[in-house]
Amino acid sequence: MNREELLPGTLHLLILKTLARNQQMHGYEIARSIQQISQDVLQVEEGSLYPALQRMLIKGWVKAEWGATAENRRARYYRLTAAGRKQLEVEKAQFDRVIQAIARVIQTA
Amino acid sequence: MSKLSEIWRRVGMLVRGEVFARELEEEMRLHKDLKEQELVADGVDAREARYAANRQFGNAMNLRERGSQAWGWEWIEHFMQDVNYGVRGMLRSPGTTLVALLSLALGIGANTAIFSLTDAVMLKSLPVKDPAGLILFGSGLDQGISDGFPNPELYSYPFYREMQKRNQVFSDVAASFSMIDHVHGFIEGQSEAEAMNIQLVSGTYFPMLGVHAAAGRMLSEEDDRKKGERPVAVVSYAWWTHSLARDASVLNKKLTIGPTVFSIVGVAPPEFFGTKVGETPDIWIPLAMQKEIPPGWDGYQDSMFESLHLMARLKPGVTITEASADSNLLFQQILHGLSGVPLNPENLQQLDKTRVELNSMATGFSRLRYEFSEPLKILMSVVGLVLLIACANIANLLLARSTARARELAVRQALGAGRSRLIRQLLTESLMLALAGGALGVAFAAWASHLLSRMVLDGRDALQLNVGVDMRLLLFTLGVSLATALLFGTIPAFRATRLTLADSLKEGRGQSNAPAKGRLATALVVSQVALSLVLLVTAGLFVRSLVNLTNVDTGFNPGNVIRLGIDASSAGYKEDTRLVDLYRRIEERVNALPGVRASSFSIFVFNEGTWNNSIWVQGYLSGHRDVTVFHNAVGSDYFATMGIPLLAGRTFGPQDTATSPKVGVIGETMARTLFPSGSPIGQRYGHGGPEHSSDIEVIGVVKDVKYWSLDENPKAGDYLPYTQNMRYLKDFEVRYLGDTAAMTSAIQQTIHEVDRTLPISDVMTLDEQVARSVTNQRLLAQLSTFFGLLAIFLSCVGIYGLMSFVVTRRTNEIGIHMALGADRGKVVRMVVSGAMLQIGVGLLIGIPVALAGGRALAHQLFGVKSYDPAVLSAAAGLLVISALVAGLVPAMRAASIDPMNALRIE
Repeated sequence: MNREELLPGTLHLLILKTLARNQQMHGYEIARSIQQISQDVLQVEEGSLYPALQRMLIKGWVKAEWGATAENRRARYYRLTAAGRKQLEVEKAQFDRVIQAIARVIQTA
Repeated sequence: MSKLSEIWRRVGMLVRGEVFARELEEEMRLHKDLKEQELVADGVDAREARYAANRQFGNAMNLRERGSQAWGWEWIEHFMQDVNYGVRGMLRSPGTTLVALLSLALGIGANTAIFSLTDAVMLKSLPVKDPAGLILFGSGLDQGISDGFPNPELYSYPFYREMQKRNQVFSDVAASFSMIDHVHGFIEGQSEAEAMNIQLVSGTYFPMLGVHAAAGRMLSEEDDRKKGERPVAVVSYAWWTHSLARDASVLNKKLTIGPTVFSIVGVAPPEFFGTKVGETPDIWIPLAMQKEIPPGWDGYQDSMFESLHLMARLKPGVTITEASADSNLLFQQILHGLSGVPLNPENLQQLDKTRVELNSMATGFSRLRYEFSEPLKILMSVVGLVLLIACANIANLLLARSTARARELAVRQALGAGRSRLIRQLLTESLMLALAGGALGVAFAAWASHLLSRMVLDGRDALQLNVGVDMRLLLFTLGVSLATALLFGTIPAFRATRLTLADSLKEGRGQSNAPAKGRLATALVVSQVALSLVLLVTAGLFVRSLVNLTNVDTGFNPGNVIRLGIDASSAGYKEDTRLVDLYRRIEERVNALPGVRASSFSIFVFNEGTWNNSIWVQGYLSGHRDVTVFHNAVGSDYFATMGIPLLAGRTFGPQDTATSPKVGVIGETMARTLFPSGSPIGQRYGHGGPEHSSDIEVIGVVKDVKYWSLDENPKAGDYLPYTQNMRYLKDFEVRYLGDTAAMTSAIQQTIHEVDRTLPISDVMTLDEQVARSVTNQRLLAQLSTFFGLLAIFLSCVGIYGLMSFVVTRRTNEIGIHMALGADRGKVVRMVVSGAMLQIGVGLLIGIPVALAGGRALAHQLFGVKSYDPAVLSAAAGLLVISALVAGLVPAMRAASIDPMNALRIE
């Protein structure tokens, strides 16, 4: 299993984007979704996922609600708030700017 | 908005605490289980899968902590843990904690209380508009009515008017009567006469001060235009509250004082107490009404009736120096031109030499301030020293504690506690101690300042002080003790946590930093001893002064005499034969009471006021202008009542009547100075000018008495029979045998049988009255003794603590000594001599400081030198003995060490 380190500061972006694609997800689903869509390149450490979710709760970007999984287990489901959607745009724009800047630096031979 | 809701969410998390942690745990458990399932589904062996899931998840505890850390509350959790731990630690050594708390509470409380009193007496600005612009003519210390010329302290009403009209430098000038009139009057609708303190003021008084009424209006210039014209009164807020229960119809109420009915036109604002600190009038009445207020002074138009304090507000931009130049010029001009002023050559010469001194009145003026400013300064220094000693004590206690805990700290560090976390914990503990002590100090300060102001005023109900706990000083002392606690609580914390763990664990008792701690602690104890000595010497000097004062011969015998104040003027009597008859009848009736030996009216007895002026003696050309004679008008039994021995001639008798030749009894000092040759009996003198020099014949000589204070020099005094001096005599003295309380009520009943309407006030024994005259000396003696003993106690605690520490540290060494044959006595001597060394050094430092300090106290001492060897050696002896005891306890413990055990320890 080939794992890549997450670029610093991108975890929030990844979670926000993942939640934006889906109505609501619990922690494990978020982690799996990121892993699958990135074709196993990006793997979210559980050790960073939950503290990150807590931080996003504080910021009011996500909301959490207890619900039941398909196997009928209690799980905390996260969904995006309006503030979270706005934050997603902000982080995406920021990320794009950084990526383009890096690309320019690398391509200028 | 979003910031606000974020805070809200954080607080929510804090409140939900437990639930939050559980939920997070559940969430992570689900994660782990799902991961495990996934791995099993991928074909991994079940046990392997669980292991992998766990491994990937990492340290669950750690993760949970990081999850909750995101919310930013972990410091509260730690803080609560620290507090919890700190409280347990304090309870484990309750003695230490108690001493530390008490030192702090007393240090903080005493300082705040004394300063609050100092502030009330000396520093607080008057509660009026722009107090900095106010000035007073003269010192404000004199009070009474003077006919001396010229007088730069007390002024006549005509002078005030001229000064007001002609000055260029003041925006306004005002005057107040220099004495409060204590009268009894009736509030409309009430049948009992009530005591009232009346302050006569000029119409300009309130406008100049810029004081506005809480209800109605204050007095104005209109009320003070014409003699006797407008019977109006303004009452104080406090009087309105306690005598009228804040009756809203106060402005329709009338007051009957003497024969005159006054209308209440206003209520003063609550914060305004007057301009004289310590005196709080109930009622202000215009000076134009002075003749209507008992005793009916009639000086409104009299240029030689010098009875007013004169005050003014400087025009903007005018300095006190400029104002002084203008006022002095006017002083001369006005007095040269004022009608009724006797401008004989002698008076003119005096006037030429007299200058008016202007003083700032920003903080009001006060006789109380004059009396107490020095004692208060001394007490301020005393409690300052106490605070220092208390801080040294706390420093020592904290040092000892944290040193004893060096091993504990090392263990905790070894188990992974962060250094900052440990330091924070020690900090929390010190802070708790300081804050708890501070809280106690605040409570103590509130109680003590109340007690102190009572001690200062000593039951003089006419006096009142506005003493509140001073917040600035409270914060300052709190800050000092906090700083001490933090400094000495954390220095060892830093030191302890820097230790090489291995060493510390090995050595166990923390010897690696013990010498440093020992040096610091020794220095603290030595300075405590030195400071204690200073305080003890101070206390000793004041106690000896007080004893000397109470042993002073007053000239009269103060035991078994009751003194009552009788206000005949408020009951409508005039100064005529009817009044004399009243006095005579009361004396006769009271004398007939069983147990009464003698009784007499007089103007005053002791420490109440004086009536003094110059006299002229027959046969001298120029008179005795420079010899002031203190007069008293008395009944014929006065000398028997007071126990004043007759030295020659006779005292007054029934033969001395209004129509018989005028007679006087004189004191021995007057006899010696004014009648130096031959017997004074039969010689003549008089008051009021050279033409009166043969008015009075001397019929007797009595022993000198004290008039105002116990430490005054002998004064020339005379006595005149009240039958020949018809005037109000406010004092009535009775010499009695038997029960004081029963006698007091019997006397009052008898007086009221003669005239039911006579108001009686200020009933006390003559002993009490004499004791009251030494209030400030007693205050100094009591408080400095209290603080001196407190200082010894704190120092002993310090010595005990240090010696215990030394003994603990040297257990091994002592064990070896004993194993090698040292007997217990030698061990005790070894420890005690250590304590003695510190005391010796402390005394060596303290003695010169105490001597220097004693010199500063010289003004307040009576009959004892500031370097009194008895006081010094008593203080040193007391210190040495107490310290010996404090050192002996740990020494005995050291001597009871079992050598085998001692050697086995570590």
